[in-house]
Amino acid sequence: MKLLPTRPLRLPRLRTYVPRPDDPKIFWFNSERADIVDEVVRRIMERYDGEESAELALNDAAYHEIMRLEADKSEGAKRKLDYWRGILRRVGRMSVEGKHETLREIALGMAKDVAGNFDPRVYHFASRFIPGVLTAAMNPSNILQNVLGSGGSTLDGLVTTEGPIDKIRNVCNRGTVVLVPTHSSNLDSIALGWVLFREGLSPVVYGAGKNLFTNPIISFFMHNLGAYRVDRRVKASLYKEILKAYSCVVLERGYHSLFFPGGTRSRSGALETHLKLGLAGTGVEAFARNRSRGIDRPVYFVPATINYALVLEAETLIEDYLKEEGRARYIIEDDEFSRIERWLTFFNKFRGLESVCVIRFGEPLDPFGNHVDEQGSSLAPDGRVIDPGTYVTRRGTPSVDARRDAAYTRALGKVIAEAYQRETVVMPTQLVAHVVFRRIARATPGLDLFARLRHRGIAIPVDELLQELGQTRDRLLALEAAGRVHVSNFVRRQPPSNILDGSLATWSGYHSARQVARVQNGSLIAEDPNLLLFYQNRLRPFATDIAGNDEADQAAAREIAGMEHRS
Amino acid sequence: MSPPIAVVGGGSFGRSLARAACRVGQRVILWSRHEQRIDGAGETLVTTTQLSTLRQAELVFFAVPSPHVTALADELGRSLDGSHLLVHVSRGLLGPGLGTVSEVLGTRTPCRRVGALAGPLVAKNLAEGHPGGAIIGSAFPEVIEAVTDAIGGPRLRVYGTDDVVGVEVASALVGLVALALGYALRLGMEPGTLAVLATRGLAEATRVGEARGGSPRTFAGLAGAGDLIAAVAGDGRPEVEFGKALAEGLDLRAAAERAGAYVEGAALAASVAAFGRRFGIQVPLSLGIAKLMAGEIDAAQLAEALMARPAKRE
Repeated sequence: MKLLPTRPLRLPRLRTYVPRPDDPKIFWFNSERADIVDEVVRRIMERYDGEESAELALNDAAYHEIMRLEADKSEGAKRKLDYWRGILRRVGRMSVEGKHETLREIALGMAKDVAGNFDPRVYHFASRFIPGVLTAAMNPSNILQNVLGSGGSTLDGLVTTEGPIDKIRNVCNRGTVVLVPTHSSNLDSIALGWVLFREGLSPVVYGAGKNLFTNPIISFFMHNLGAYRVDRRVKASLYKEILKAYSCVVLERGYHSLFFPGGTRSRSGALETHLKLGLAGTGVEAFARNRSRGIDRPVYFVPATINYALVLEAETLIEDYLKEEGRARYIIEDDEFSRIERWLTFFNKFRGLESVCVIRFGEPLDPFGNHVDEQGSSLAPDGRVIDPGTYVTRRGTPSVDARRDAAYTRALGKVIAEAYQRETVVMPTQLVAHVVFRRIARATPGLDLFARLRHRGIAIPVDELLQELGQTRDRLLALEAAGRVHVSNFVRRQPPSNILDGSLATWSGYHSARQVARVQNGSLIAEDPNLLLFYQNRLRPFATDIAGNDEADQAAAREIAGMEHRS
Repeated sequence: MSPPIAVVGGGSFGRSLARAACRVGQRVILWSRHEQRIDGAGETLVTTTQLSTLRQAELVFFAVPSPHVTALADELGRSLDGSHLLVHVSRGLLGPGLGTVSEVLGTRTPCRRVGALAGPLVAKNLAEGHPGGAIIGSAFPEVIEAVTDAIGGPRLRVYGTDDVVGVEVASALVGLVALALGYALRLGMEPGTLAVLATRGLAEATRVGEARGGSPRTFAGLAGAGDLIAAVAGDGRPEVEFGKALAEGLDLRAAAERAGAYVEGAALAASVAAFGRRFGIQVPLSLGIAKLMAGEIDAAQLAEALMARPAKRE
């Protein structure tokens, strides 16, 4: 099948690593890979077992692929175009067996293209050297020492982890974990991968956009560390079914998985509030399928927030958000992530702020939104242990029901979105941006977002700003005490002047095309309302709670809270 | 043998639901806080004061006035698990965010398969088995199926929708419109006036429903227009009686006694008004009812305020 030609590199099979009994489950992934692909194809054939549905699937796949490939001028695309046009011409004359055989051939090709790989050798290499490489970028004068050895210790300080790690480790041992973090940067999966390793948690299988596989080095690591390829350009429903079947089979077999339920990186910088869960929803189906086969393997959803003081791709993301308002590019291939000099500047900016990235894990949940105890047993709201199997059971018989499971998944999406708010860690840059943006909103009452963003250069006396920063921080601390949000240690401990200076220093230089804000003659000048909007958006759900009591502040906060956002 | 149907709440609606289920051959366990005797109770209808008895049921109807929903949900939840299907019949919405009863049931009990039963259902008709229809809103197909089996039959057509929040908002706001209609009727308003009140009231309900994530189609169906037509046609529902009693000058308590059932009134109208203010939604009728019930304006002032609003495109 010549559908997708770019096959990632793998290491030769010489000296194959033999997994040890205490290695995580994923170390056995390669030995099950062929089985998984076969099972995916079997389910697809079951799904399209009628003649009509098989013909429809073939027509639909051919139509969408032709549409896509016609816009692609490459030589490879031309060959594939011929293949699909051939299918479209022949499908009407094919026998039932012919249709099913063609479908099987296409499904197998797609499933193989999707399927990931896990090479323990690459894993050991990456976990040893990636921290060094990242740290070296931050401290180039010591490059040799960092790459070869102690890089991890510096990175430890930069990326901190919070949350019930021991409990997550326990549930990893008892069942399958579906990690569902917020998504703001392509660095997310790298930072998460490192944190999982550092905290002694099992590596995870994850779906990565095929656009990330265009760089051969990144592609090599991603592919060999369990990533499966999701090509968002392929619109055929057959392909979507294959992705779903693949992630479901992988979860059923107990491979911990990572999904970004927001789909793409948050364009506006805001927290994701409407989660469809997408492929993560297959966690519910995987649980139900195992139960109906008598396999008692719980599935746990672990929400996590990834909180950056500086977002590598902030400029591109907010520009994209504002430019299209409703027609954002779904796939961005030319952002800061692909430019190494931006990485260097990015990491260099982190020195003043203690942790620049806080990954906070939430409480593990069962697929039905229930909390679980330390051992991973589901708990009813009254604290009683209940059997999660009852949710997929009717009159004593467990079953798989797509509509029911979709309803559970929607409900779970709401619970996870609520957890995102609770588990958010407010970073200094977000706090400063919010207070400044509230001032912009106060100065531009009633204006729509775009009119407001044209107001550059609003000046705020620094002493007033510091006072507001202090008061807003105190209100955030009160919210934290009420269990509604978290604040980073820097925000908690430092005086407002350090929070302001640290944030300005972090921004300046990295966001270099235009300053975010600068201080002149005792006033702070808000230079770039777009980036201020991006960083403050993370605080939007709390705007009215952390504003001052005077009416102007409250009105500004209400406007911020009410701003219509896509995430 | 299929499991029994449970009904939580021994008020008029709870008892009628129990009767309706018995009529189609179901076994029913009716829970009420106080021991009560029910005519016709026997092998197929038993009563209890122990919530734990309801564990043996699969489908549980929750017929509890909204002020008691949260506390009773907590209590009931201790006896249930994920296998139970929980369906409420409340016309209430909770708090300034207009939280729905099914949201409370879905978070305070272990049950996730929840739903809301609504439409032109009146306790008396349900108990006596007059032909009619109802709508069950649930995201779970098995809930719709179970409710249809439990009370549906040749005399009660049960329709299903997955727009739960639409059903709940429609049911609550039609209750408010019905209250206003009762008030207007007693003041002797003409059919043309009642028609404007009913139609604009339904439009208001639809706006609120959409803001809460419901579908406008639901409001044109049994949960909205169907329910409202029954109220206008005089199906003897408590909300209309309550409105009439208020128009006669009775205080809230006396009006509630006359209505013979719990009516979601002042608190609901105030919540809808606050919701409208917060999200910029026009809710003149709810705002007027809230002010009327708080004694801030009288009926003449309300009518004047509503009629003085500039007419726009419908």
